[in-house]
Amino acid sequence: MATLLVHIALLAYAAAAAAYLVWLVRPRQALVSAGRTLLFAGLLLHLGSFAAAVSLSQGEGLARAGFGSDAWRGGQLFSLLAAATVAGYLALDLRYRLPVAGAFVAPVTVAVMVPAHLVHGGTRPIAPELTHSLALAVHVFSAAAGTAALALAFALSLLYLVSERQLKSKQPGRLFARLPSLELIERVGWHLSVWGFVFLSVAIATGSLVSHESSGSAFPIAPKQGFAVLAWALLAGLIQARLVAGWRGRRVALLVVAGFLLLVGTYAGLLAAPQHVSAAAAALIAPGRG
Amino acid sequence: MPVLLCVGLSHKQVPIAVREQLAVSAEDLPGRLARLRGLAGVREAMLLSTCNRLEVFAVADARTCADDLLRDLGPLAAEHALTRYEDEALLHLFRVTASLDSMVVGEAQIQGQVKEAHARALEAGACGAALSRALAAALSAAKRVRTETAIARGAVSISSVAVQMAHKVLGDLSGRAVLLIGAGEMAQLAARELHAGGASELLVANRSAAVAEALAQEVGGIAVGIAELPALLERADVVLCSTAAHQPIVTRELVGRAIKARRYRALFLIDLALPRNVEPAANQLENVYVYDLDDLEGVAAQNRELRQQEVQRAEAIVLEEITAYARAKQERAAVRVLAGLRAQAQALADAEVERTLSLLGPLNERQQKSVRSMATAIVNKLLHGPTARLRGEQGGPLSDAAAELFGLQDAPDVSGDDTDRRSSPEQPQDTSRKPQADVLSLTGRK
Repeated sequence: MATLLVHIALLAYAAAAAAYLVWLVRPRQALVSAGRTLLFAGLLLHLGSFAAAVSLSQGEGLARAGFGSDAWRGGQLFSLLAAATVAGYLALDLRYRLPVAGAFVAPVTVAVMVPAHLVHGGTRPIAPELTHSLALAVHVFSAAAGTAALALAFALSLLYLVSERQLKSKQPGRLFARLPSLELIERVGWHLSVWGFVFLSVAIATGSLVSHESSGSAFPIAPKQGFAVLAWALLAGLIQARLVAGWRGRRVALLVVAGFLLLVGTYAGLLAAPQHVSAAAAALIAPGRG
Repeated sequence: MPVLLCVGLSHKQVPIAVREQLAVSAEDLPGRLARLRGLAGVREAMLLSTCNRLEVFAVADARTCADDLLRDLGPLAAEHALTRYEDEALLHLFRVTASLDSMVVGEAQIQGQVKEAHARALEAGACGAALSRALAAALSAAKRVRTETAIARGAVSISSVAVQMAHKVLGDLSGRAVLLIGAGEMAQLAARELHAGGASELLVANRSAAVAEALAQEVGGIAVGIAELPALLERADVVLCSTAAHQPIVTRELVGRAIKARRYRALFLIDLALPRNVEPAANQLENVYVYDLDDLEGVAAQNRELRQQEVQRAEAIVLEEITAYARAKQERAAVRVLAGLRAQAQALADAEVERTLSLLGPLNERQQKSVRSMATAIVNKLLHGPTARLRGEQGGPLSDAAAELFGLQDAPDVSGDDTDRRSSPEQPQDTSRKPQADVLSLTGRK
């Protein structure tokens, strides 16, 4: 059931991506409406697949639910990240009408979902003490929310850099008319960065607890933790610079891009060194139901 | 059969010196429409008079009525005017309404002007159902062109490009302050547009306090002293410069200090002066955007080019809409012929049945019913083939041939259309709905 739902959700995301990309070439409002509706439908199905997976876990804990289906062996965390990003985008779009960001979010969602669900990876054991850990659940959801917020901030920062370049060079391109104002991109990107920072702080704190529960070390030395702390420090510096010195614009956009890339490094570190991965991380990546 | 005519001239035929002599004022319009309405053979008429064109669209009994319309425009217009008939006139109406025939392709005013001309023609009782349907279809096509292509996107005049760019940088202008330095006309125009666009404060600075005061009153702003420029740059979000100064009065250094004091809030500087009032190097500063005349003209030219690239798609939409309009008209013509044919055949059958029944003498009710059913069945079977073919063809030569063959040219219009019935102010036309069809002689060639 969960497998079927998530496959249909993936199709809806792909159709939404196509609608948004065609809109970039042919600016018809119907395409934006179609993209928005398809993304929303995909999200509902996606959340439905999570609910189905949780109900299938029969009280074995959230971690064992696999955030998708027990038929897959890897990438469920990325599925959750994709759903959180789509939900965040739809909330933003409802408030600010940002179809051009949809043209970025929808294809990236598909790009993340395809390896997450269609590429079968190996299974890894899960630490039994973590299957009912509250800290793990909070860690996973705050990490997902923080990553989604920063992914959207990253998308808006790229949009800002492109728009700013066009305005500075006095060479507006074909998409210029479809780009929102610099002020709007900057303001929304800033709010997202702050929320991303807050969730990332919670994720790091709870991650430390989870690590302590599973391995006895609250601050293990590993690429994953290193990148996460670097991303957090960079975002903390950015917020400080904005509040104290009034930084905004291009330099803030560049810092957000750098912060998100460090966060990507966290996930890359998580996947690239499975032999060193903690039990908590293993639980996140591969719930290992058979 | 009524024909659609278009007689008139535009910016393509004559320069403004001629057009300004021919323009019809709002006061003169009812009289001109009454005159057009009074011309022999002219069933409906609408006069479109804008700064770029003077054109009469009319539904008339014959193509020769165009000569009378031409004479009515006067000798000066007649010398330059073009006459378009039927399909060509319809295409021109659609293209004009969709702003494809405008001096600035994609400009929005023409649709309002067409609607206004139609409203005035309706008020004068000069416009009827046929012209109204054609106009509704043309407006519908224009709406599609505007929403489905980028033909109307991007400002094409210097002042509107300046305003567009200000919106692009700053977004909503409400709560923003605009500083106008100097008294250049283009800068005043842009300042007014920015003020109308939501900017809450319009500051006017000039070397002469009296000039600043007078200008501030004229544009609805507040006069400020030019000596306060450093502080004004911290306060204003958009700065419009158009002084006659020979050296830049807004230097990079000045802007650099201001942007720091503004805590890097974006500053948009529009330099409409020659020589330039803003040091170009200020554009290198973060969150500072400097646009001079060349930059604005460059954007305007790029927008014009983008609009031109969309013309082909817009023309395709216009042709699609004309085809749909023609098809609807043909379908209705076919329905009218079919209804007439069936009514004629049924009337003949009924008459023959009554005659036969009177000859046969007393028959019971069942026998009479059988005779009537037989007659109806014969009519149905005879008309089945022609009906299917006419429906399949949806108007066109077969429909015309059937009408000619059975003498149905004067068959009543089952949809209630009546081109002779001119609308009066008390009978407003609904021009917003999709066109059905009319009795224009458009052949519907694709």
